[in-house]
Amino acid sequence: MSFLEGLRFRPGESVIHKLDPRVKLLTSLLILVSALIYVDALVITIILVAEAIIMKIAEVERLWLKTVKGAIPFAVIVFIITFLTDYSITGLTINTIYRAFTYSYRIILFLSSFSLFFLTTTPDEIALTMTKMKIPYQYTFAFVSAIRFTPVLAQEIKNIMDAQKARGLELDKGSFIRRVRKLIPILVPLLVNVLRRSYELAEAMEVKCFGVAKNRTYLHELQFRRRDYVFLASVLLLFSVEILSWSLGLRPDSLLLSYLGLTEFSKLS
Amino acid sequence: MGENGSGKTTLLKHLNGLLKPTTGRVYVDGVDTRDATIAELAAKVGLVFQNADEMFFEPKVEDEVAFALRNFGYPEEVIKKRVSWALEFLELSAYRDTSPFMLSGGEKKRLALAVILAWNPEVIALDEPTIGQDSVQKEKLAHMLKLLNTQGRTVIMASHDVEFVADLNPRIILLREGRVVKDGAAEDILTDVELLASCSITPPQVVTTLNRLKDLGINPRRLSVEEAAYEIIKRITT
Repeated sequence: MSFLEGLRFRPGESVIHKLDPRVKLLTSLLILVSALIYVDALVITIILVAEAIIMKIAEVERLWLKTVKGAIPFAVIVFIITFLTDYSITGLTINTIYRAFTYSYRIILFLSSFSLFFLTTTPDEIALTMTKMKIPYQYTFAFVSAIRFTPVLAQEIKNIMDAQKARGLELDKGSFIRRVRKLIPILVPLLVNVLRRSYELAEAMEVKCFGVAKNRTYLHELQFRRRDYVFLASVLLLFSVEILSWSLGLRPDSLLLSYLGLTEFSKLS
Repeated sequence: MGENGSGKTTLLKHLNGLLKPTTGRVYVDGVDTRDATIAELAAKVGLVFQNADEMFFEPKVEDEVAFALRNFGYPEEVIKKRVSWALEFLELSAYRDTSPFMLSGGEKKRLALAVILAWNPEVIALDEPTIGQDSVQKEKLAHMLKLLNTQGRTVIMASHDVEFVADLNPRIILLREGRVVKDGAAEDILTDVELLASCSITPPQVVTTLNRLKDLGINPRRLSVEEAAYEIIKRITT
């Protein structure tokens, strides 16, 4: 269940952890927008490197790398689809391969864009951010508990698998159909336990008078500090440079290639 | 024995190969656990998980008990016999056709034990079997464990229920932060108040009482109420 590890928040003390979650959310969103509009290998590389530096500062680079690795299968799919589509139209050229590469490269940035927000923000801060966005607290709570219970669920699956293995269940033996049938001893207890747990959670919430007050107050209020303004300003500056370059229709990667003397590559689209 | 996080469950999971040692070796019946599958080891070591009663999935109690036997490939007539025997042994025969989810808390715990005992493993390992059990159930459990032990089976139990352990008077291996602190008889370990304190374990009530009477010349190295009473009476009458 290692792919679920990426969702697990680990408390940290870095500058990035201390940033206002709204700034991090906006940054993640801008990275996503960049990945959507600007299909340029050099721009993608610059943003990925910037992201990597931020992750390194926050000391969550290993978790981030897991997310990046997890995106590779998707990137391969995108590569194949883009390549086949272009190939059927224009045939095999350098351009076809390069376009397929850039599009699949973009997927990695696309899928890792929200790591910045989720890996360095506590569930409580996510809740505060959503409240500031005027989302009703019921929905916020549902969303935050979904995030919070994902790792719990992964642990639960592991426990159930261990218990059934101790009863002689061999998951990796037999034909495909037999293997699927072997999931029953794992899925039934999982479902039962999840239902039981959610009822317990609902009862615990009612005991604590969930939803009594219309205007909920919070122990911590979000507040912009100097570091938030500095971080925000640099992000916005970089983003406006990027947008300017994009609106002028510049292709930094082909510029770089022609500068390097690779003229046959420089007429890329 | 040992406090939370001292490594009791981790140690038990090494017995049937769910965890393999990173350093050192674990041998079960002479076989290195790294060279055997979990299923092979599970046939020898029956491990009852702390929340084994949350792992049921069959529609009937008898199928739940038969599940492991079918995994181990026993013929159907043997399975029938074993299931009947296990349900009889744990007084669950009346619930043969009931859903495991309809059983009470105590009955579920007994079913979890029946599930393991059905294939007659040589070693029975239990993880915190007394949690959430009332005193009558605990007494029955203690009786059953003694019975299994006299039948020649090895019973290994992880617990921090001192009174329950004192009652059984077994060999104790005391753990702290993943290391063995002491290995010895219950009489030696459970009466060593300082040693227990260093492992965050409260001594049994009998030991606490006798320690307060130590300066009257009463031997505090006693675990059972009867022996303690005898010591006190001996002191009064002489």
